[in-house]
Amino acid sequence: MRTLARASLLLALLVLWQLLWLWGLPDYILSPLEILRHFFAALGSAELYEHISASLLRSLPGFAIGTVAGVALGLAAGVARGFDQMLSPVVFLTYPVPKIVMLPLFMLWFGIGDLSKILIIALACFYPMFINAYYGARSTPTILVWSGLNMGAGRWRIFSRVVVPSALPLIFAGMRVSLALSFIVMFATEMINARSGLGHLIQVAENSLRFDLMYVSLLSIAILGYAGDRLLRLGRQRALAWQEHAA
Amino acid sequence: MSRLKPLVLIAIALAAWELAARSGLWNPLLFPSLASIAEEFVRFVSSIGGLREAWTSLYRALAGFALAAVVGVAIGMLMGRSSFAAGLLDPLFSGTYAVPKLALFPIFIFVFGIGSLSKVALIFLECLYPIVIVTYQGARSVNRVLIWSAQNMGASRARIFRRIVIPATAPFIFAGYRVALPVAMIVVIITEMISSIDGLGYVVIYSLSSLKTDRMLAVVVAIAVLGFLVDRVLVALRDRLVYWDKLDTYFV
Repeated sequence: MRTLARASLLLALLVLWQLLWLWGLPDYILSPLEILRHFFAALGSAELYEHISASLLRSLPGFAIGTVAGVALGLAAGVARGFDQMLSPVVFLTYPVPKIVMLPLFMLWFGIGDLSKILIIALACFYPMFINAYYGARSTPTILVWSGLNMGAGRWRIFSRVVVPSALPLIFAGMRVSLALSFIVMFATEMINARSGLGHLIQVAENSLRFDLMYVSLLSIAILGYAGDRLLRLGRQRALAWQEHAA
Repeated sequence: MSRLKPLVLIAIALAAWELAARSGLWNPLLFPSLASIAEEFVRFVSSIGGLREAWTSLYRALAGFALAAVVGVAIGMLMGRSSFAAGLLDPLFSGTYAVPKLALFPIFIFVFGIGSLSKVALIFLECLYPIVIVTYQGARSVNRVLIWSAQNMGASRARIFRRIVIPATAPFIFAGYRVALPVAMIVVIITEMISSIDGLGYVVIYSLSSLKTDRMLAVVVAIAVLGFLVDRVLVALRDRLVYWDKLDTYFV
C-alpha cells in the first residue's frame, strides 16, 4: 500500500499520458498501453533477447573490470601515501573529462568490436569506484586501526579486517553510480557504433521511423537499469548487514 | 619533492607514448606522435573554426546546466521544506535515477529537432537529478536551532528563508553543481558524437572518419582542458559566494 502511495505521482503521470494520447498526440509519442503491447510482443520474439544479451555482454564485463581495478587501486591509494601522491592527482584531474571521447581511439587500437566498448565502459566505471574506495579507505576510524595494532595484528590483517570493511559502505555507494554509468556508456557506445545491442536497436529504429522499436528499446534499458540497481541494493543489504544505521 | 610525484606517472606515460609512436611498430595513424598532436592542438585553438566548435559545445552544456541549476534548486528546496512535495517527488527521482536518460535522446530529437535544443533538453534532464537530490538533502538538514533562534527574534518566514535556509543550503547546492557540471560536459560530447553537425564531439568523430587521428586526439585534449577550466571557474565562484566554508581540499 505504501509503495502504491510512493508511486502515485508516476502513476498519475502515466494516466495523464494515456489520456493525452486519446486526445491526440504526434506520431512519435506512443501511449503507455501501446508501448506495453509492443514490449510484450517483442518479449515473445528472439530478437530482443539477442540485443539484450549483446548489450549485457559488453556492460557487465566492463563494469566488473572497472570495479575491480577501481577498488583495488583506490584502496591502495587510500592506505599508501606514496602511491596516493603519484596516482590520485592524475585520477582527480582526468575525472571531469568525458571518458567516452576515448572511444574513437580505443576503436582504432582495439578494433570496432566489443573489446573497445568493454574497455571504455571499464574506464568509465573505474573513476567512481576509485574515488569512493579511496575516501572509504581514508575514512577508516583511526582508533580501530590502533586497537588492531595494539593487539598485534600485522599490516595485511589490519587492511583486510579493518580498512576494507570500513570502506565497504562507500564502495557500495560507488558501485551504484558505477553500474548506472556502465549502462549509460554501453548505450552511448552502441548508439555511436555497433551492430547489435539496445543502443544500436534504438538507432536503427530511429532511422527507419520504427517508433515501436524505439520505445521497446527504451523500456528494456529502463528495466535493466532499475533491476540492476535493485539487485545491487539487495547485495549491499546482505553484505553490510552488520551496519546498525541506514547508510 | 612530493609535489613532483604526480608528474612522474604522467611523464612516464607520455614518454612511453612517444616511444611507441616513433618506434615504427605501428602505423602513425594509430599512434600519432605527441609532436603532431601538439601541432594540431595549437592549430585548432588558434583557428576561428575550432573556437566556434568549442563555443557551440560550451554554450549547449552551460545552457542545459543553467536551466537545471535554477529549476533543480527550486525543486530541491521545495522538497526540502515541504514533506508533501518530498513524498510526492522523491520516489519519482529515486525510481528513475537508474534509468539511462540517454535512451530518451532519439525521442528528444523527434520532439525538439536535430540541433541544439534536443541536446540542451537532455543535458537539462541529466543535470537535474544530482542538483535536486543534493539540494533536497541540504534543505532538509538546515540546523533547526538556527531557525528557532530567528523565529524567536521575530523574523518573518521570508526572512528566515532568505537569511538562513538559503545560506545553509548553499554548500550543498554547490556540491550538486560540481557533480552536475561535468555531467553537462559529458552529455554534450556524447550527444554530439551520436548525432550532430557541429560541436567538439562532432569534430572528434569527423576527424576519426577522415583518419586525422592527430587532430582527433588534439580535440580530446581540448575537451579535457575545457572541462577542467569550467570546473575551476565553478570552484572559484563557490569560494566567493560561500565564503564562510572554503573547500580545504584541492580536489573534489
